[in-house]
Amino acid sequence: MLFYVDPGSGVPIFRQLMDQVRTHVAGGVLKPGDEMPSIRSLSVPLGVNPMTISKAYNLLVHEGVLERRPGLPLVVAEHDAGDLADRRREQLRASLAPAAQMAYRMGVEPLEAEALFRELLAAAAAEEDE
Amino acid sequence: MMNVLEVRDLNRGFGGRTVLGNLGLTVESGEVVGLLGRNGAGKTTLIRLIMGMLAPNQGTVRVFGLDPRQDPVAVRRRIGFVAEDQELPAFMTVGRVLDLHRELFPDWQEEAADDLLARFELPVGRKISDLSRGQARQVALLCAVSHRPELLILDEPAGGLDPVARREFLETSIRLLNETGTTILFSSHHMGDVERMASRLVMIHETQKWIDSPLDDIREGYCLALVPAGAVPAATMLALEDCLCVRERGPSLHAVFARDAESCTRELEKNLGLTEAACRPLSLEDMFLELAGRDA
Repeated sequence: MLFYVDPGSGVPIFRQLMDQVRTHVAGGVLKPGDEMPSIRSLSVPLGVNPMTISKAYNLLVHEGVLERRPGLPLVVAEHDAGDLADRRREQLRASLAPAAQMAYRMGVEPLEAEALFRELLAAAAAEEDE
Repeated sequence: MMNVLEVRDLNRGFGGRTVLGNLGLTVESGEVVGLLGRNGAGKTTLIRLIMGMLAPNQGTVRVFGLDPRQDPVAVRRRIGFVAEDQELPAFMTVGRVLDLHRELFPDWQEEAADDLLARFELPVGRKISDLSRGQARQVALLCAVSHRPELLILDEPAGGLDPVARREFLETSIRLLNETGTTILFSSHHMGDVERMASRLVMIHETQKWIDSPLDDIREGYCLALVPAGAVPAATMLALEDCLCVRERGPSLHAVFARDAESCTRELEKNLGLTEAACRPLSLEDMFLELAGRDA
C-alpha cells in the first residue's frame, strides 16, 4: 500500500497522509490522472477514522495536488514540470528544516553541514544501486 | 440538528466522594469522541449515567433529546453499548444471545450480524462461559453494532484484548462509521487507538472535564517544554500564560503549554530569557502522562 500511519509520531494523522501523497506526487509515483483510493477502502486497512482521510483529501484538493470530478474518484491533478520541481523543493525543505535548526543550535558551520548533506546524498544513491 | 448527547451540570458521587462535579458535555451527530482519564477518574460513571444505568445526583442527561431514565427502551434501541466488564449471560450459547438481541432490537440486521459472525469465526453453539475473553467481547461488539445504532458507546473496548483482537474491534467500528456515520463515544487507555479513531478528545481529571478539544488542535496546539532544572523556578513557569502544568523530572523541568512548539520557544526566550528550552510537539501518550501524572 502507498500509505501508512504512525499514531505515536507527534504528527497528526491527516498531515502524515498529506505528506505521503505530496511525496508520491513529487517523486512521480502518483502521476496526473491517477485515481486515488476511496476513503472507505483506505480507512479500514489503515485503521483510521474516515473523516481524517476525508480531511487530508480535501486539503490536498484545496492545495491543487488532487482534483475532484463530480461523481468520480479523486485524481491527481494535472501539473507541469515547474509545479513538480516546486513541490519537490517544498517537500525537501520541510524535512530539512529540523536538521538546519539542529545544525545552527549546535554551531555547525554551513560548509560542514553542506558537506554532510552531500555525503548522505551519495550514500543514498549508492544504496539505490545495490 | 439535534445533539446526540447533552449532559448538563452533571454531579454524581458515591458514599460522600464526588466522582463527577458539574460536568457538561455535548456531542453532535457524527462525532467520534475519545474519553480519557486515569482509572477511577469517572469515565465509566459518566457512561453509566448516559446509559441510564445510574441516576445523577444533580444535573441532566439527554440522549437523542430523551431522558434515559424516563425512556430507557426508546433510548437503548438507538444505542450500541459494550461495557467494560461485559455482562452477557454466561449459561447461554452464542446463538441464543444473538436470538435475544434480534428480538430486543427491531432494526437488527441479519446480514451485518452474519458478516461479523463469519469475520470473528465465533462458535454459535458454545456457551458464553466457555469463550475466551476476546471472543466474549467480540460477541458483545457484534450485539452492539448489528442494529446499526445511531450512537455507539464503548467502555474500554480494548481492555484485556491482544493486538489482533484490538485491531478487529477498531476496524469493526470504522466499518460502522463508513456505512452509517454512527456517533461514537469510547473510553480507552490505548492512545494509539484514540489517535486513529477520535475526532475529538475529552479528558476527565479530578471530577472535572479538563480538556475538550478537536484531536488535531491538541496535536498542533500543545507542546512540551524541557528546561534545565534550576534555570527558572517551577512557579515562574506555571505563572506564564498557557502553561498547564510543570513538574520536575530529574535534571529537567517538564512544562506543558497550550501553544505550538515554535511560538513556545520564542515566548520562553522573550519572557524568561531561556535560550536552552527545547519545545517539541507531544504525543497523546506523553500529554496524558504529563497532565494526569503531574502530582506523582
